[in-house]
Amino acid sequence: MNTHDQFRELLEAYALGSLDSADRALLETHLASDCAECAKGLEEARWLVSQLAYLAPNAEPSAILRGRLLQTVRAEAAGGSPQQQAVHTTAVPWWLWAGVAALLLFSVYSAWNEQRLRRTVANLQQHAETQRAERKRLEGELSAAIAQAHEAMIWSDPKSKKIMLPPKDPKMPQLEAMWHPEMGLVVRGWKVPNPGGNRVLQLWLIPKAGGKPMPSMTFWPDANGKFSAMVENPPDALSDTQALAVTEEPMGGSPQPTSAPMWVGGVS
Amino acid sequence: MFLAVFSPKGDDEVSLDATLMQQLLRRDVSAFEELYERHSRIVYSLVLRILRQGSTAEEVVQDVFLQLWRNSARYDTSRPFVPWLLTLARNRALDHLRLKSERQRRREEQTEEFPQIASAVPEYEKALDEKRRAERVRTLIGSLPSAQRKAIELAYFDGLSHSEIAAALNEPLGTVKSWIRNGLMRLKESLQATS
Repeated sequence: MNTHDQFRELLEAYALGSLDSADRALLETHLASDCAECAKGLEEARWLVSQLAYLAPNAEPSAILRGRLLQTVRAEAAGGSPQQQAVHTTAVPWWLWAGVAALLLFSVYSAWNEQRLRRTVANLQQHAETQRAERKRLEGELSAAIAQAHEAMIWSDPKSKKIMLPPKDPKMPQLEAMWHPEMGLVVRGWKVPNPGGNRVLQLWLIPKAGGKPMPSMTFWPDANGKFSAMVENPPDALSDTQALAVTEEPMGGSPQPTSAPMWVGGVS
Repeated sequence: MFLAVFSPKGDDEVSLDATLMQQLLRRDVSAFEELYERHSRIVYSLVLRILRQGSTAEEVVQDVFLQLWRNSARYDTSRPFVPWLLTLARNRALDHLRLKSERQRRREEQTEEFPQIASAVPEYEKALDEKRRAERVRTLIGSLPSAQRKAIELAYFDGLSHSEIAAALNEPLGTVKSWIRNGLMRLKESLQATS
């Protein structure tokens, strides 16, 4: 077998693309020498190899592919350039780009919506806090108003009995009290010095039967020396109490007087 | 039946493909549509056999037919159309199979020459219509010993070289070369026979 015959035997494998690099280089060098017989043989070999496609099992492309192709071709035929239409032919299918775009839009919307909701929640929390503070303030004002109204009713009701509490020290102001059989007892004063330190003023109910003084509420005058204190649950029977007294006691009050009365007023 | 999808195509059919390709030069969409109807199934079958993945195969088929549409001027109408189209489709599919980078593939799209296929077709090419040729191909290759048939399929559908096929089949390199050449020579003889 001469050299030319050796090259002839490589043509089918060359057309098939299965020649290893060394054989391929040798054959291509020979083909470049304008060997007409090998050139013709190669053309026939390429035709022969192409017939192997019929070994592929039958399959049919989808209608979507046909529609996409025709859409692109029609658009290009109508005047669009291939470059403009390349968007239809990229490796990534159009529906995937559409999906990515939709996902991106959804992500942007979600982030914006989250921020919006966060702002809304923060505003609502701030509003609720303001409402709670306002409610607490109103409740305080309401309680004070009710207490003032309650005290006013005690002071104005004809069934109430007024009790004067003169001071033991003539320099001190006089206190006064009003006792109502159902609504309670109110004690008030003006220009009363603050006891100072950790001490408070404490009211005592002195029973007629000579028993021990009954401890009652503690209170402080304000900066102007004014106070108004109400005992909501005094003894039922006014007639059982001989007198009211006020002493100065440690913070929190005492179960029995620890100092001499500063004010004393007879009840009946 | 597989062969039923291939309608007979004689000389007139071949010239019809060439005529349709000429009409593409005038941006005739109906000519493109007819070419697609005539050949999309065999092209898709081939590409799917190579890539084994439907969506990727459709991308490649789309590329192939857009090449026809956009570069129809490069086609030599004196050449047999179907072998040329099948060679183009196979090359594209093998490019994808070898995982060519998208950049490289696009660069090649700009400059790629259409496949070289016989301008002087074999004398026996016209002896059989396409349906009968397809039948002959399947019968002949199917009659080969299993290993020899496998070697030819690995070369054609998987794009493997002689050395790679020898390694894959664990056979001597010389044996693989002989199997492939002898198998193709027997195929050539089968197609040359008129009866």
